[in-house]
Amino acid sequence: MDELQGTDLPDIDFTLEYPYTRTTGPIIGPFLTGLRDGHILGTRVGDRVICPPVEYNPADGSTVGPENLVEVGPAGSVEGWTWVATPTSKHPFTRPFAFAQIKLDGADTTMLHAVDAGSIDNMSTGMRVVARFEHGLGADRLGTVVDIHFVPGEDPPSAPEIDPEAEPVGITEHLIGVRIQEPLQPHRQRFLRGLMEKKIIGQRSPADGKVHVPSRGYDAINRVPMTEADDVVVANRGTVTSFTEITPIQYHGQTETEPYIRCSVLLDGADSTIGGVDIRDIPVSEFNVGLRLEIVWQDEIDFSDPDNRGYGLTEDVYERWVRTGEPDVDPELVKEHNF
Amino acid sequence: MATDRDPNDIAIVGVAQTVAHERFDGPEVVLIMECVNKLLSDANIERSDVGFTIAGSCDYLSGMPFAFVSNVDGMGAWPPVYESHVEMDGAWGLFEAWLRLQMGDIDVAMVVGSGKSSPCDAREVFHLQADPYVVAPLGLDPDAMAGIQARALINAGKATEADIAAVVARSRAAAASNPHAQISGTVTGDELLAEPYDMAPLRAHDVSIKADGAAALLIARRDRALELTDNPVWITGIDHRIESHHAGLRDLTDSVSTRLAAAGVGLADGPIDIAELHVTHAHEELILRDALGLTAATSVNPSGGPLVGDPVMATGLTRIIEVARRIAAGEATRGVGHAASGAALQQNLLCLMEGGA
Amino acid sequence: MARPCAVVGIGQTKYKRRRDDLSLDGLVREAALRALEDANLTFADIDAVVLGKAPDALEGVIMPELSLADALGAVGKPIHRVHTAGSVGASTAISAAVLVESGRYDTVLTVTYEKQSEGNATWALSGGKSGGQGAGGTFAPWIREYIRRSKAPEHIGWTVAVKDRLNALKNQYAHLHLEDISIEMVRESPMLWDPLHFLESCPSSDGAAAMVVTSEDKVGRSPNKPAWVLGHAKRTEFSSFPGRDTVRPQAGVDCAEALYKEVGITNPRKQIDAAEIYVPFSWYEPMWLEGHLIAEEGQGWKMTDEGATALDGDFPVNCSGGVLSSNPIGASGMIRCLEAANQVRGTAGDYQVDGAKVALGHAYGGAAQYFAMWIVSSELQPDFS
Repeated sequence: MDELQGTDLPDIDFTLEYPYTRTTGPIIGPFLTGLRDGHILGTRVGDRVICPPVEYNPADGSTVGPENLVEVGPAGSVEGWTWVATPTSKHPFTRPFAFAQIKLDGADTTMLHAVDAGSIDNMSTGMRVVARFEHGLGADRLGTVVDIHFVPGEDPPSAPEIDPEAEPVGITEHLIGVRIQEPLQPHRQRFLRGLMEKKIIGQRSPADGKVHVPSRGYDAINRVPMTEADDVVVANRGTVTSFTEITPIQYHGQTETEPYIRCSVLLDGADSTIGGVDIRDIPVSEFNVGLRLEIVWQDEIDFSDPDNRGYGLTEDVYERWVRTGEPDVDPELVKEHNF
Repeated sequence: MATDRDPNDIAIVGVAQTVAHERFDGPEVVLIMECVNKLLSDANIERSDVGFTIAGSCDYLSGMPFAFVSNVDGMGAWPPVYESHVEMDGAWGLFEAWLRLQMGDIDVAMVVGSGKSSPCDAREVFHLQADPYVVAPLGLDPDAMAGIQARALINAGKATEADIAAVVARSRAAAASNPHAQISGTVTGDELLAEPYDMAPLRAHDVSIKADGAAALLIARRDRALELTDNPVWITGIDHRIESHHAGLRDLTDSVSTRLAAAGVGLADGPIDIAELHVTHAHEELILRDALGLTAATSVNPSGGPLVGDPVMATGLTRIIEVARRIAAGEATRGVGHAASGAALQQNLLCLMEGGA
Repeated sequence: MARPCAVVGIGQTKYKRRRDDLSLDGLVREAALRALEDANLTFADIDAVVLGKAPDALEGVIMPELSLADALGAVGKPIHRVHTAGSVGASTAISAAVLVESGRYDTVLTVTYEKQSEGNATWALSGGKSGGQGAGGTFAPWIREYIRRSKAPEHIGWTVAVKDRLNALKNQYAHLHLEDISIEMVRESPMLWDPLHFLESCPSSDGAAAMVVTSEDKVGRSPNKPAWVLGHAKRTEFSSFPGRDTVRPQAGVDCAEALYKEVGITNPRKQIDAAEIYVPFSWYEPMWLEGHLIAEEGQGWKMTDEGATALDGDFPVNCSGGVLSSNPIGASGMIRCLEAANQVRGTAGDYQVDGAKVALGHAYGGAAQYFAMWIVSSELQPDFS
């Protein structure tokens, strides 16, 4: 077992990501369409022009319609700015650049955008900047605010190529990802190392003796954190306490396509249930609450997606669950362990 | 006399906070448990003695929709409890709890704020607070917005880079007496000004140091408060206001919403001995001092403030706790805790407190 | 002490799979402006705003109160945002009521919404990972256990699915208008999470719901009868722990007991004239009738089976069509609360329960662990004797 002790468990590196599609409505739609097609629009509200355009009058909340859209820019003056020395992966440039408040000619308010000035020395409050109808990093122009960027000076922009067939931008897309990087929590590390040794480790509460598996590292009922001293091994077999058959819904990132059973199992020796146990090789007609199951371990265990959630057993470790052949347990006896 | 106070006057009767960890390797729930257990133990009450509980946290910070649900594990919910949650700093949870107790049927409430910032890069997450159509796709994060605001402040003649550096130097020095701070130390303005720009004119040290942490407090109605502590800290007012999310419609050099909140709580009705301000970028302290009308007589951020440890989602609540603790200890009589949300101080909350019978 | 609070304005958007005609600003404004108009008030009359919605990841916008403040006329005012998972719409309604009942704010605008077409609800419920079971996959095993305990016949779920969709045909705002809905159609629809068929499950909707609530001295400004908030309650329990009853959660029982006690209701079946109960999956109608003490344990399905919960029954449930007909997650709980208010104001149009004076609005969320409920009435002090 020594070689397993030294095995490095990966840190968690997970990106919560989705390609959002936003409907744009009667004001933002024309604004983004304009950016794509070579115009910057603001809204006339009372005696001033607000850019980016708004759907309402900021003074009283009354609705402002698209008939109030007017063209502004493409040049303007910088009224405020910062120099981004180290761009993030979400910024519109990979080289240092300025974010600026730009008052476009014809507008009475400033718009936030990015200026590709080359150097902080080229930035000053009051300087003139002008739009370029190009994506800052040369990517496709899709009808978003990054279809344009600004550069110092007044040289008028070239008109972008307009696709005569293109629809107005009724929907704008934004791929949003948030990256989470953290080590596995100590109790999770011990749990996963246990699985590598074909052992299921739970934790027994020092307060009431109840065994939690998989443990979350604490006993919530008694508000007590748990430590390695509370680790206990539970059996590799147990009782089905609840189940359903899932017909997978397709969504971004989903890899399941065929129906499968998902059940909860109360392992012998445990007081809490393991949920999210997936069974793919027992027909639902032969499955029931009270069924006795046992894990068949995988020989090679390679954690593809470890996490800190106290839920589930991770499919990486078992080849399948099999019926032990023992008589079913009366569902009445497990009704308080179904989740 | 305390009994001259209205029966629905609310006092802070207990506070708790964790260290502002650079990284806490266990679950966020354990940070919350630490605070909740301390509150209950210090007040010598049972969980069931708390009539209403409310938490503040941010799912996205954990990278997990519904992450707030597991935080309930840290607060206790068996037998079932009356509780709620705001997807905001715990200070806004205090706002709800303070109002709820004034209905008169519940005597004790608990407020929690928590978050682990170590797993993510704040800039790569919190730009998502910006306008989803015209700002967020630029990835324009709160630190960049702060840089724009700081420059505007300097251009308006309201501050210099040296003034901003002085805030950092003072905060770091103050942190030496704060056992919960993540960093402290002696540094001069010149040393700070020698560092390179990050979001010019701000430097890396001008931005708060994000932390994993939790904080919690107990409030009670008058009679119950007097039973639970000899040193009640009376909340004489809470008010919060928001400004436009269009930066072009705001005066970034003046915190108008803080002025409105200050008028709302009657801040100017008496001296302010202490002010703990939710300063996540050093220049903000200068704007807030001005908006609050603070004088040299006010001790500002004696804890060092968020610049020395920022447990995001508990930071505003922690400011209130830092004031309450000092008032309870007799170090001050009247103080204000401030919480902020949104880039460039878009939204501001004030909690005005006073000690004494 | 607490002062009375009334609902004086109600506004909803048309619920649809994708509202492609407006932005997020436009969505919340559609509901907010309708609520203000219904109350004969403007943004200038509003002292504070309370926003509520489910996880930010459903739209990819963090803390939307920041970017929606202007659209909701909240600049210069207090605005804050409640998030209690599926129950959030009702929690938000309760928060708004507390702002008034505390005595601190006189007139509050409260708005809840979800624009699910921007993201994907199942993706969000799966934590962004493959293999997610969604809400239905979580509840289906517990529904199976309810059926075992109660020995309810299999058609009960289908009956609820048909009843709520037929009711929805009378509600212009409802997402699903399934003209030819029938027991056969439900039974034959694909199985999603055994035993729940596709047509026994809620849709994914874009939508917003709003109310204006105000103090007793100010109800006169508004043309409709006020819907008095007689009381509200919330209870929460842990999602999982050894010994938890997920079928009849203790928090649900406690919440109902607390609510009825506060309001003075001793016989909810008789003393409540209409109920809007959060039923996103058909079987939750009988389960919540029992779980909230309206029916005896094991008997809830009989109320459904006998037609008691139909529009013309003695305990009508979800006359608006319910969550089964429209489910913008963040708003659904508030829709229940405002539809209860519609009933007692007499503004429920074609799905009005004649003479309804006392109505229940309810929501649940998470792993059936969060409960938020309120009772509204056309009378400030109804006689329950």
